Amino acid sequence: MPVPLQFMMGEYQALIPIDRRYFRNHMWFQMSPEANTGRVGLTSYAIRLLQDVYFLDWTIDPQTQVVLKQEIGEIESSKAVSSIFAPAAGLIHDFNPALMQDPSLINGDNYSTGWMFHFETQVETMSAEEYAAHLSGSWEETQRVLKGQYNA
Amino acid sequence: MAPRKLTVVISQSPGKNPVKRELEEEIATQLMLAGCCEVSLIPNLYDLPADHHGLLWLRSISGDLVVLSWLYERAARWTLDRNGISGLEGVTQLPKEEEDSTEEPADTPRGIGSVRKTNRHIYVMDLRQHHEAAVYLEEIQRIAREAVPPPTLVPLEISFGKPEALPAETVAQVPAAMEFKLPLGFPGMTPVASETAVAAPVTDPRRRWYPVIDYSRCTNCMECIDFCLFGVYGVDQLDRILVEEQDNCKRGCPACSRVCPANAIIFPEHKTAAIAGAPTAAAGDFKIDLSKLFGAPSALELAAQERDTELVADGRDAVGLSVGIPKRQSAQAEQPKDDLDNLMDALDDLEL
Repeated sequence: MPVPLQFMMGEYQALIPIDRRYFRNHMWFQMSPEANTGRVGLTSYAIRLLQDVYFLDWTIDPQTQVVLKQEIGEIESSKAVSSIFAPAAGLIHDFNPALMQDPSLINGDNYSTGWMFHFETQVETMSAEEYAAHLSGSWEETQRVLKGQYNA
Repeated sequence: MAPRKLTVVISQSPGKNPVKRELEEEIATQLMLAGCCEVSLIPNLYDLPADHHGLLWLRSISGDLVVLSWLYERAARWTLDRNGISGLEGVTQLPKEEEDSTEEPADTPRGIGSVRKTNRHIYVMDLRQHHEAAVYLEEIQRIAREAVPPPTLVPLEISFGKPEALPAETVAQVPAAMEFKLPLGFPGMTPVASETAVAAPVTDPRRRWYPVIDYSRCTNCMECIDFCLFGVYGVDQLDRILVEEQDNCKRGCPACSRVCPANAIIFPEHKTAAIAGAPTAAAGDFKIDLSKLFGAPSALELAAQERDTELVADGRDAVGLSVGIPKRQSAQAEQPKDDLDNLMDALDDLEL
């Protein structure tokens, strides 16, 4: 297995496998180049911010055409709540049924069995290197967002 | 002369929800039996046109006032203010729901304040907070005791004794025969036992949709007037922002509220608590919201989307983020201060 990239979140090492593509909103995309479809899941960076996932709910049906930033679901964890937004314009084929039974799979194995949905898109995605650079560039802002909320 | 009684106004729920009606009527009935206050019911405060007799009557009241409504307290208070009914903020002591224990942030933003100043207290309560009438009755009686210095102890004893003496079933039958303490000549106000007492049905005013400005937060920055392309906002003679043409507002569209940097614009009927006037952002609990990091549209993007929807519905062109978007300088805040900044800070400190 090729060596993944890593991004240091303070002491924590978030791994970024290089065998897949990435979206800006911290989702990975393992697509087959022919069909432009593949699985989408959360990166270790996102998981580290969420920590233990308790609840996952999809607010759209399978086979839904979505636009960028469209709200598609909700996630709640020990640390955070968030809506889940479409990573790009495209078609969401179906959702990982195993997560419906046990959302903590996202924590256990976020880069394989913890995938979230099948997605089809024509949109440009980022390489692992580009995603790592995106994380470096936004890490200051991320910390500001988090601290802003803790101190509110 | 008899001492002036506390006035209690119940702003009724706009729908016909029987549970809500029952709570309204229970409170009104018990208060009348207790005799501690003047009680009136008016249709949903937010929906009343400025010349509605309910509002005319409210404006004529100069003493302390308790207003119960199905709105957040901020929403009700500033809807009243907008309609020329203002006063000092009366502090209510309703028991809080568990999750409401978060304290007010220490540095609440300072707004330009209401232009009207009246030296009486207005107590506002949200009827959605509790399901039992008793909670509200207890609090209103506490306010009545404190607001109106009791000349004798007799009325107070009566007010405590009565509700217990009359079981609920009996009370429900009494109102038809009772003399309601409604001001005469205001047919819009529903007497308590409307099903028995009123022949002519009272038609609710039509539902409305418009922004209400919380002047305790508003800084008069004018971003809302720049953003709204429907002519809702205007300024008064003092160049203070005001909601001038409220019925130009597009039903369901809260876009200006999202644009407001001080969170001073309330749409009391919006489904999002923060927009409807909840005390703070109402995050619910201490969990942080990662939506922004996970790709949520910014408030500005959402506001522009909502505005475009309404523009297109009016047969106009969508403008996206090209018009009336505030040019905030947040990105520059990190730079070291220069001489001009220091001068501005010094001027700010003078609090002129």
